[in-house]
Amino acid sequence: MGFDPRTLWDVVALVGVVLAIAPWFGRYLGRIYMDRPLVGDTILTPIERGIYRLLGTSPRHSMRAREYMLAVLVVNGGLLGFLFLFFLWQALLPGDPTGAPGMRWDLAFHSASSLVTNTDFTHFTNESQLSLASLTVAWPAALFVSPATGLAVAAAMVRGFVRRDGTLGNFYVDLVRSVTRLLLPLSILFALVMVLLGVPETFTAYVIAHPLTGGTQTIYLGPVASYQSISLLGTNGGGFYSANMASPLANPSAVSNLFGVFVMMLIPFGAPFAFATMVRRHGEAWPYMITIVIVFSVALGLFIAYQAATNPFLSGVAGLGAQTNGYPVGQEVRFSLPESSLFQVTSVYSNVGANNLQIGSISPVAQLVLLFGMFTQATPGGEGTGFGMLLLFGVLAIFVGGLMVGRTPEYLGKKIGTGHVRWAALALLVHPAAILLPTAVAFLGGFVSLAGLSTGAGAHVFTSVLYEFTSESANNGSALSTAQFNDTTLFFNLSGAVVMLIGRFVPIWVMLKVGERFAGQEALPPGPGTLRTTSMTYSLYLTVFVVIVTALIFLPVMALGPLAQIVGGP
Amino acid sequence: MTEAPRPPPPHPWRTHVRAGAILLALMIVVSGLAYPAFVTAIAQEIDPGAANGSLLTCPNGTVVGSADIAQNLSAGALGPSLFWARPSLTDYNTTLGAASPPGPSDPALLALLNETLAYLKNGTGNSSPTATLPFWWVAPSASSVDPDLTPSAVLVQIPRISNATNLSVPTLMNLVNAHITQPPLPYLGVPFVNVLELDIALLALQGTC
Repeated sequence: MGFDPRTLWDVVALVGVVLAIAPWFGRYLGRIYMDRPLVGDTILTPIERGIYRLLGTSPRHSMRAREYMLAVLVVNGGLLGFLFLFFLWQALLPGDPTGAPGMRWDLAFHSASSLVTNTDFTHFTNESQLSLASLTVAWPAALFVSPATGLAVAAAMVRGFVRRDGTLGNFYVDLVRSVTRLLLPLSILFALVMVLLGVPETFTAYVIAHPLTGGTQTIYLGPVASYQSISLLGTNGGGFYSANMASPLANPSAVSNLFGVFVMMLIPFGAPFAFATMVRRHGEAWPYMITIVIVFSVALGLFIAYQAATNPFLSGVAGLGAQTNGYPVGQEVRFSLPESSLFQVTSVYSNVGANNLQIGSISPVAQLVLLFGMFTQATPGGEGTGFGMLLLFGVLAIFVGGLMVGRTPEYLGKKIGTGHVRWAALALLVHPAAILLPTAVAFLGGFVSLAGLSTGAGAHVFTSVLYEFTSESANNGSALSTAQFNDTTLFFNLSGAVVMLIGRFVPIWVMLKVGERFAGQEALPPGPGTLRTTSMTYSLYLTVFVVIVTALIFLPVMALGPLAQIVGGP
Repeated sequence: MTEAPRPPPPHPWRTHVRAGAILLALMIVVSGLAYPAFVTAIAQEIDPGAANGSLLTCPNGTVVGSADIAQNLSAGALGPSLFWARPSLTDYNTTLGAASPPGPSDPALLALLNETLAYLKNGTGNSSPTATLPFWWVAPSASSVDPDLTPSAVLVQIPRISNATNLSVPTLMNLVNAHITQPPLPYLGVPFVNVLELDIALLALQGTC
C-alpha cells in the first residue's frame, strides 16, 4: 500500500512552528543564565533571593569547575541516595493503595541512577512494582532536578566564552533559576493543556471497572498530566504508565501526540539560540541549528520511509490484509504514520526516551536510525548536556578544520589548545567505551547467550543488548525490547547503573573543565587568520564532521547488530 | 593586558552539604507535592471528565471502563454479540503494563499473527481461507490496550453481530458510521472507532447495558 504524502503536512507544520519560535524562545532561555532583567523578576526575584539565603549562598559567589562539580555531585548524589532508599523501602510507607513490594537493592540502585541521570530507563513495571508515592512524590523530584542540572552545566560551560576570571557561575543559582524561570511555569502550563487534551490528573490511584463481558479491570489513574508534562519538557522520558506515551491515557489523540512533540523539542531546539544570546553573537547559533536540522530531518525521513515499507517476512501470511498507514505491529491506531514517527525520532534524538510505539517491532533500518541519534547524542540531544556535547564537537571541528586550512584554531576570540581538545576527546570516547565494553562483557561473560548470533534472530538479540547500553550511556531511556533478553538481572542492573552514571557525570566534568579553561583565557580580537564560524561552509563542515566522527567510532558495532539484520534476513 | 581578577574563595564543603540537603528537601516538596496538587486543583475544575480518566458508564450507573483502555470484548456469553478490540499481549490486564511484540523477522511473529487470524476469522463468521482481515485488527498494539480500531476493521465484524443480536446490517452500519471519529483537520490523525464506546451504544440500543 502506497504512502500518502498528504499525511505529512501536520508533521512538517509542527517542525516549522518549533523552528520559527526557537530563536525567540532561545533568547529567553539564554537570558535566564545572564545577569540581566527578565520577565517575572518582580515576583520571582524575591523568592529566589530567599532560597539563596536559606541555602547559604549568593549569586555573587561564582564557582570554578571543581567547586561547581562538587555542588553538582552533592545535589545529585543526595537525590540518588534518597531515591535508592525510597525504592528499597517503598512498602514501609503506610496507606499505599497499590501494594507494591520494596525493590531488590540492585533494582533500586539501577532505578535511582536512571532517574538522577535524566535517563529514566526502567527495569520495572510501574503498575505492579512501584508504589504510588514512589511514582508521584519521589520520581518527580528527579524529573525537575536532572534537567535543571543539565541546563546549569551547559550554561556554566558557555560562560567560559564570555568570562576571563576562570569562574563559571553558581550552580545553586543556575539550578534554582532553571526551575523557577523555565521548568516549573512551563510544566504547569503544559500539564493543563494536556488535561484539556484528555489526560487524567487526579489523586485517585485507580478505579475498578466492570467490563461488559464480566470480570474486573483496574484503571490506573493519578496525576498523569503533571508527571508527563515535566517528563517530556525535561527530556526525562519516564512514563507514568509502563506503556509510556503509547498509553492511550497518557497520550489520547493525534493532537496530544503532536503537543508532546512540541514540548520535547522546545528546549533542545532553543539551546543554540540561548548559547548565541549568552555569548552575544547571534550568528553563532546557525552552524549548530543547521547541523541539528539536517541530521534530524534525514533521520526522520529514513524512519518514515522504512515504517511505510511492508515487512517482506510477512508476505506468506494467508488472510492478512494490506498494510495501510504504516506497519501496525507495535503501533497505535490513532496516530498517522508520520505522527508516530515524528514522536519517536524526536524523543530519541532529544534523548527524552519516551516512546509511542514498540521499538522492538520496527524495521532494523529504523532501529539503526534511532541508535545513530544516541551515538551522537547531540542532534539536538538532551537538556543542556546535548548542546554541551554539540559544543564539544564544535571545538574539535574548529581545531581540526583550523589545522587543515592553516588558520589559528580559535573560537569566539578564545584560542583552542591541545588541552581543550584532550578533554573534548575524552567526552567523545567515554561514550563508546561505556557502550561497547559492557556489551562485550554481557556476551562473553555468558549473561546473554552467544548461540545463534550469526542468524537474523540472534542479530536482533545483539541489537537489543547494544541498544540497552547505548540508551543508558546516552542517558536516553528508550528500550528496544523486553522480549529479546531478560534485563532485570543483577548483571544488567549493576552494569546499567554504572554506565548511566559514567555517561552522565564524565561528560559533565569535561564540559566544566573545558569551560573553565576558556574562562581563564583573555579574549583576542578577530584577525585575518580567524576561521569564520558563521559561514554556510563551516555549518556544513560541522554537520559532516559530527556524522563522520560518529560513524567512524560506531560502524563496526553497527555491522554486528542492525546491519547484520538488514542484510542477513531471518 | 590586564591581570585577570582573582576568583573568589570556594564555599567550605559543609556549606555545600547543607545547601544540597535544603535544596533537595525543597525540590521534593515542590515537585512531588505542591506541583501536582496545584495542577490537579485546576484540572478538576477545567475538565473533570478527562481529569478522572474518561470513564464510561452504562445508563444504569455501572463504571464499565475507560474510553482510553481496551478490554476483552470477545469473552463470555456476550462476546459474539459485541465488536472486538485489537488483540492484547497482556490479555487486557492493566497491572501487567505493556508487552513488546516479537521483532519484525522473528518466527514467533508469524505464529502469533496466524493464531490471531484463526481466532478472529472464527469471530467474523467467515473462516474461508481466502478471506482477508484488516492488518490493524490482527496486529498487537504498542500499549497492549489500544481502545481504537480502523473503521474497516469494525465493519468486517458486522455480519457476526447481526447474526447474534438480530439487529439488521443497515442498523449496525448506521451505528458504526455514527461512531467514527474523524480527524479534527484533514490528515491530522486518522479516522478511527472507539470500540468500547461503540459497544456501549450497541447494548444501549438493545436496552441491556
